[in-house]
Amino acid sequence: MENALGIWGPQAALMAITASFTVLGLVMLLAAMFMKRRWKPSYTFEFAFIAVMLGLVYYADRESFNTYSVYQENLNATEKKVSGNYTGAGEQAFDRVVTVVAFQWGYGFINDKNEISRNAVVVNPGEKVLFKVISNDVIHGFNIPVAQITAEIDPDNKRELWIKAPDKPGKYLIQCVNYCGVGHAQMKAWLVVDGAEKTAALDVATGGNI
Amino acid sequence: MAEHMYKPARGKLAHWVPQDLIGEMSIKDLLFSNDHRHIAIKGIFTAFIMLAVGGFFALVFRAELAVPGVQFLGAKVYMTLMTMHGMVMVFGFLIPMVVSICYYMLPRVLGTDRLYWAGAAQWSYWILIAAAVLLVIGRPDFTWTAYAPMSFRTGNPLIWMGHLAIFLVAVSEFLAGAVLVRNAFSGHTKLSQTPLMAWAAGTIGLLFMASVLPLGAVGLGLLSDGLHLTNVAFFDPSRGGSVQLFLYLFWTYGHPAVYLPFVPAIAIIYTIMPRFLGHPMWSYWSGVVAFILLAIGAMPIGPHHFQPVYTISGGYQRFVQILTMLVFIPSVLHVFNWISTLFMSPIPDSARRAIPFKFMIFSIAFIVYGGATAFLNAQIAPDSDFIHNTYWIPAHFHAMFFGFVGQMAIAGFYYLFPYFTGRMYNQGMANAHFWLWQIGLFIKITGMGVAGYLYFPRWVYDYLAVSGWPEAQLFISIGGFLIGLGFLFFIVNVAWSVRHGRPAPADPWPVEFDDEMEATVAPAE
Repeated sequence: MENALGIWGPQAALMAITASFTVLGLVMLLAAMFMKRRWKPSYTFEFAFIAVMLGLVYYADRESFNTYSVYQENLNATEKKVSGNYTGAGEQAFDRVVTVVAFQWGYGFINDKNEISRNAVVVNPGEKVLFKVISNDVIHGFNIPVAQITAEIDPDNKRELWIKAPDKPGKYLIQCVNYCGVGHAQMKAWLVVDGAEKTAALDVATGGNI
Repeated sequence: MAEHMYKPARGKLAHWVPQDLIGEMSIKDLLFSNDHRHIAIKGIFTAFIMLAVGGFFALVFRAELAVPGVQFLGAKVYMTLMTMHGMVMVFGFLIPMVVSICYYMLPRVLGTDRLYWAGAAQWSYWILIAAAVLLVIGRPDFTWTAYAPMSFRTGNPLIWMGHLAIFLVAVSEFLAGAVLVRNAFSGHTKLSQTPLMAWAAGTIGLLFMASVLPLGAVGLGLLSDGLHLTNVAFFDPSRGGSVQLFLYLFWTYGHPAVYLPFVPAIAIIYTIMPRFLGHPMWSYWSGVVAFILLAIGAMPIGPHHFQPVYTISGGYQRFVQILTMLVFIPSVLHVFNWISTLFMSPIPDSARRAIPFKFMIFSIAFIVYGGATAFLNAQIAPDSDFIHNTYWIPAHFHAMFFGFVGQMAIAGFYYLFPYFTGRMYNQGMANAHFWLWQIGLFIKITGMGVAGYLYFPRWVYDYLAVSGWPEAQLFISIGGFLIGLGFLFFIVNVAWSVRHGRPAPADPWPVEFDDEMEATVAPAE
């Protein structure tokens, strides 16, 4: 996937580091319980460990912030939409701009012709879509698992998110992840990627995974 | 026997003459006595009732979630149970339980043998009971975070009881914090001679008192906005209030709130680990520094719980990210200290058999499991991918709250059991409880982590059969029921052992080796 927030790349490295530290901690605990040899670890060892931690914080902050900044930079374009003649070269622009109204409980999608569809938005395979999300009642979430993006929307603010739509036509889940009242579990919508095969073969099982 | 007992380097040993304290207590003692052990026992057993209730709710909705598409709970009932589960477990079980254990141990560890400001502890208890009663009558379904404006638009006319309960919890925790601070400084010793449990009580007590102020404001603000008590709206955007104000206020309490049970649980480890091993902790000052750093770092990092919209990708969000990752360091200092202490000498066979020691070791394993993986949670990029409000978050806080704090609370209880009943628990049933919990917890937490990685959303009573989701949920439910089974063993064990258990020896926790040769190996310097 081209989605900038995807966990591959630096984020995968950080996940691997995190997993190794978890395993290291558990192995140390096991060793402390069952190793024959006994000794008093040196205090220097702890300072060294803290130094490693500080280095890790520096690295994690840099990678995470860079990843997120690259994602955000795409939103800074003055001309949001390139209609018709998008060549893929303009990093700053989007093929489609959709305003999303999150409400209790569902999503309304408004296209640039002011046409509204409820709980489904149709996009073309592989296109870059900008979502301008607002909420008109309470705090909602906006999560598209296949595009690896999660956001929180509160009624005071508007948020902009973008995704690159999947290349494979199908029906992909959009869901609310913030508890927003008793209908929260039903607050879902579909990202419909339209293709030659149309939507006949829509499969629920593609909702969570690529 | 007693003359061979381990003497702590600082403070006194958490040891009493085992006696049937519960049998000697009258109903009046139980309800209103200001003796610190009576208050503690009342708190501990109330917490167990809360644990049973909260756990029962969990099993009901775990059964609901085990299979997709099958409903026996409606959304409203499910969310009420979920809200009550969260509130009862955190405010009813975890915090009162570990604070009660501190009330029990701290006066002895400091050598004062009395709880200063016990009246405040008493009020703290009864105010919490009032809050619990309000919750039961009001039956809120707004989750423990009570996000405005959703939490006063639920269509439930009694929802104000939930808001009032939040305010009462704030008052109760403020009093508990004041009691902890007062007692932490009652030992009349130099700071450098203050035992670690007192450092914990002092720092966390101050954090309690500071952090519940915004919680009280949240409770009153919700009450006012929900009932239109004033013309000024605080959190209701439709009347000119600010949701951002709510989020900042709530999470300025909400993050320290997770340390409120966490730090007393750490203090219990520092108190009972040397007791079982027969020698002091690896480093005293490392523990002191970690307590102070944790208290300082707790409040400003609250915004990592939401996405601060004004500053997406801005300097403030990055500041919170860095600070959150730095708050790992005090926790690492603690874990490092515990593991190094275990390395220092051969582990006595008596410790290996002791149920509190076993619970302690596995709670350390769970703090590593839940804590180290949470290094990802602090980072903006993965948070905006699969972490924010998916099941990854319950995986993290169940590992920390239940795997660590809950299990340390149970360890503390098993440790104190002979002291207030005069009898030992049944080893077989305690072992069954122990292993069922470890296996159940591991299954449950891992299942939640996997579900979170697959973007399973929090707070839903039903879900689509997206690949991986039903399997993960079934897995979590199995873990949950194993924990429930373990709890049954625990209840039966306590009920039986209180009357029929083996009488406790003068020292219930001697340091002994089965093989005499091993004992001659002196602790390493």
